[in-house]
Amino acid sequence: MTLIKWSDEGGTVRLGLPSDLDLAMAQPLLDSLRAGFAASQTVIAEAAAVERVSTACVQALLVASRHAAEQNRTFAIAQPSEVLAEACEDLGLDGWLKQWSQA
Amino acid sequence: MEDLSRFKQTYFDESAELLEVAESGLLRLTPGEVDSDEVNAIFRAVHSIKGGGGAFGFTELVAFAHEFETVMDGVRNNTVPVTTELVDTLIRANDLLGQMLAYAREGDPAPAGTTDGTVAALRRHLSGGDAPQVQAPAAAPAAPAPAPVYADDEDDEAGLFGDAMAAIAAARAAEDPVPPGKLRWTIVFRPRSDLLMSGNEPAFMLRALRRLGDATVECHTDALPNLQNLEAELLHLSWTVTLIADADVDLDKINDVFEFVADDCDIRITAEAPPPAAPEAPPPVTDPVPVATAAPPAVVAAVPEAPPKTPGADAPKAEAARPRPNGGGAEHAGLTSHTIRVDLDKIDRLVNMVGEMVITQAMIAEHVRELPPGEFQELLEGLEQLAQHTRELRESVMSIRAQPVSSVFSRMPRLVRECAATTGKEVQLVTSGETTEVDKTVVENLVDPLTHMIRNSIDHGLEGPEERERVGKPRAGTVHLSAQHRSGRIVIEITDDGRGINRPKVLSKAIEKGLVQPGATLSDEEIDNLIFLPGFSTADQVSNLSGRGVGMDVVRRNITSLGGRIGVYSTPGEGSRFVLSLPLTLAVLDGMVISVGEERFVLPLTNIVESLRPKAADLHGLVGKCDVMMARGEYVRLVYLHQLFGIPGAVADPTRALVVLVETEDGSRLGLVVDEVLGQQQVVIKSLEANFRRLDGVAAATILGDGRVALILDVAGLREMSRHMDSRAPRPPVAALPAPALEPV
Repeated sequence: MTLIKWSDEGGTVRLGLPSDLDLAMAQPLLDSLRAGFAASQTVIAEAAAVERVSTACVQALLVASRHAAEQNRTFAIAQPSEVLAEACEDLGLDGWLKQWSQA
Repeated sequence: MEDLSRFKQTYFDESAELLEVAESGLLRLTPGEVDSDEVNAIFRAVHSIKGGGGAFGFTELVAFAHEFETVMDGVRNNTVPVTTELVDTLIRANDLLGQMLAYAREGDPAPAGTTDGTVAALRRHLSGGDAPQVQAPAAAPAAPAPAPVYADDEDDEAGLFGDAMAAIAAARAAEDPVPPGKLRWTIVFRPRSDLLMSGNEPAFMLRALRRLGDATVECHTDALPNLQNLEAELLHLSWTVTLIADADVDLDKINDVFEFVADDCDIRITAEAPPPAAPEAPPPVTDPVPVATAAPPAVVAAVPEAPPKTPGADAPKAEAARPRPNGGGAEHAGLTSHTIRVDLDKIDRLVNMVGEMVITQAMIAEHVRELPPGEFQELLEGLEQLAQHTRELRESVMSIRAQPVSSVFSRMPRLVRECAATTGKEVQLVTSGETTEVDKTVVENLVDPLTHMIRNSIDHGLEGPEERERVGKPRAGTVHLSAQHRSGRIVIEITDDGRGINRPKVLSKAIEKGLVQPGATLSDEEIDNLIFLPGFSTADQVSNLSGRGVGMDVVRRNITSLGGRIGVYSTPGEGSRFVLSLPLTLAVLDGMVISVGEERFVLPLTNIVESLRPKAADLHGLVGKCDVMMARGEYVRLVYLHQLFGIPGAVADPTRALVVLVETEDGSRLGLVVDEVLGQQQVVIKSLEANFRRLDGVAAATILGDGRVALILDVAGLREMSRHMDSRAPRPPVAALPAPALEPV
């Protein structure tokens, strides 16, 4: 299983998402997001490498974005891959992805 | 309009079932132990009744159901606390909903103010909780315009399926008419939270839907928990897909997308055709019948509440839904139902015809026996097959009439609740064997006897909570209602853990009423059975429940009129057990034809253990009692049928006659002394009571293949008869046995 890469640069936690965000990866992703928000005001999920994505992982990212909005934190999905964008479109979440992503 | 009437009939039939579902659920609703599945089932039942009512324009019914539903929604959302008072109100509301349905069925308006009291009570519960404000009834002109349907605070499952669906469809129809030649499908897809764990991926299904046409997918995120509470593998999203597709995309194609998740999600599909103004479009719809043109024929036509009328809102609509494993209710019945409703008269005609066929087949078999041996082999083989097919046909037809006893059992929780409230006792009802099937007529006739016996158990059998505590029992008494198949009959038992029958009191009461001679010596069993005598009651005070002395004798009469029997077994201080034994069917049975003198009798095959010719050494006499026979290591009472029925010319000596060993439902055995065993045969049961009168030891009559009438024997009845007379054969006893050594009979 590919691991989520964690880095903390100047108070911003960056989570390098692996290529395979399948169902099994949902729990590690959720744990990482929780840990990220516990450690920092800003969490960036880098999604350029994502080649496969499950609804469970999208849901975890969605909850993270809500958390950020409610807690006045910063959250972004950086460089979402085409696969992630398509999955979000299938799930009716293209608008959400657009709102929370940064190139 | 004829078709509309048919739909209405179906609506009322299904509503009756839904009311039962709701009532069962409400009776199980316990403060502090709210089962969300149960609450959802009640909500859906009420919602379905409301939805269908709206389609048929039953305004008052819809308005009331809406009030009911709103409170149930509050319960679902934990904004209305479940209290005993609330449950009482909801049960009353369910009753009233039944009354409103009855008014609607008759086409009568409900009397003014019928629902006022209950509506006020329902609203009080709402205002007492943190519930959303009661909305105006949907059918009322002042109903609010459809709000943003999937607002963040909306978590209304049925709303998604019902009100909101209609609102969405109407709003879209107004803003964006369906292009000619196309259909607009609205698909609400609400997966169960554990859908992902079965390896299903919603994104794939939604993608498959998008391929069917021009799709807009809306994701509903309102049910998402916060970051800390999210469980990674549980799904909290749902979707509404609006699909504009060519006419060749039908319901089947859409359903195919969800083929593998049908049991793991709720799906509601609605179709909209182009507005009626379009020349090639289907005609405008004023009743639900033409809806089927917009979707496959199995579609259920029902649009729950119509939102405020908007242009284009009259466009034909169709709804369909896949069944849900937890019982989707009426709104799901149309699409994948594997059942049909058949008029009972048609089934009864079929049953009668099969009965006649059985007799005819027996007659042919009778004649064939007279053919020269070894000839007409093919004819004989054909007749053998015919007999086999007749038997299978009979069993199939009987199974059509069979119903589970759950339809009767499900009424009992309410009865227990009411009785417990009236008597101030704490009662727990336990049921088992609800799926046991028996003929519909038997099921229907079980309601009154069971009702009375359960009342009797609670009123007379169970002690009050304080008394129970004093004797070391739990405060709440238990009444156990069970059903099972045994020896080709259905046996229903009502057991309580109360004080048992007070035999001294029963006996003294019986003597006081002149039912028993003073000084008579009765066995415990005989004393217990005194409670079935007409006019008998030991209740010191006549209560609303029982104690009028018109109950248990009527119970026994009802049961015996069905060819059944009732017995009571009681242990002082530990409780009582009433055992009902009833035939599974009232039409045909497998029997053994026996002869006694010149008479023919039929013994139900299910009672027969074996037949044998005893040796003299196996026979014994009980002094002053009866003859017994040693069979398979136990003593069995001999019953001489020729003596019981006064038949001359029969073989009286058991060593020259045959003994048919029979077993009753309670496991006790008898040896019936008969001349000959003639053979096995299916016989059609003809009621003796309906055509003549009831006879002891006789269950019914039948017509044999040779046209003779034969009596069908009732084994337990024979046992009772034999106990009341000295049926000993004129033969010196070989050995005297002490009476206690005899098996209980």
